[in-house]
Amino acid sequence: MNHRFVATQLVSTRLATAPVEIAEPEVAEVTVTDKPWIVIVWNDPVNLMSYVVYVFQQLFGYSRKKATRLMRQVHEDGRAVVSDGPREKCEIDVARLHAAGLWATMEHPS
Amino acid sequence: MGLFRARQRWEPGPNDSTVLSLTEVELELLQSMPDDMRTVLLTSDDDPARKRLFPRAYLDPTADAAETEWRDAVYPDLVDQRFDALDLVAGTLTRAVVTGRDHEWREITLTAAEVQAWLSVLNDVRLVLGIRIGVSDDEPPELPDDDPAAAAWEFYNWLTYLQGSLVETLLGDFDGSDLLGDDLLDDE
Repeated sequence: MNHRFVATQLVSTRLATAPVEIAEPEVAEVTVTDKPWIVIVWNDPVNLMSYVVYVFQQLFGYSRKKATRLMRQVHEDGRAVVSDGPREKCEIDVARLHAAGLWATMEHPS
Repeated sequence: MGLFRARQRWEPGPNDSTVLSLTEVELELLQSMPDDMRTVLLTSDDDPARKRLFPRAYLDPTADAAETEWRDAVYPDLVDQRFDALDLVAGTLTRAVVTGRDHEWREITLTAAEVQAWLSVLNDVRLVLGIRIGVSDDEPPELPDDDPAAAAWEFYNWLTYLQGSLVETLLGDFDGSDLLGDDLLDDE
């Protein structure tokens, strides 16, 4: 299981040096460092359940159990939070999920 | 068309390779896939299928500045890697070897990187085709055989089968019932 998404590394490399803009109003900036951003994967009718499990394991290093639980949450609830962290990390995670064909977005819980 | 002929499609080969087995008809059907996908990648941003391949990152529709900045940073790579995967897959399609007692199989020996390229291309093609024919969570429509959409649905279903069998191979000890079993949901 050493297969990696080659392109993922490309995305990470480029993003590592990308400037990050803080879009929140000033009041919110105080909490930016406290509250992590979250990455959400949305249900879609095409992606195979087994494929989604595989992608979660490959991209995030999750166990089969955790990956399967998240996949089922996406399937049954329509969405699941699959990762969180600083904004830059979430931007990279979203790009990697898009590279794998999953429908992912990020947001900052207020 | 007999597309679902029983045979292990992805088998371990020498030196960590994977051997993909296709029928002559299947190989023929896949020949135009790389060019079809290149066309999608080069089409306008408004194309629904293209939008599905390159969705927004920021859920907040007012976060356009952040979205633009993110897209500027990652988009060239996201496009390049899709073209790279298509190039790899297209290359493998040219080296199919005729096998089988009745010369009925076309075998392609793939490196690990080529397997990953196949995985992402098969998924992308299904995403695009899924948009074009309107795949949803509902039951697929009942179409007469002479409806052009019927052939597209059959191709889509076959791609699903081919990708599904590849994912199961990659997952190794994977058991399909794992996906719905309750025993996995208790802990990490």
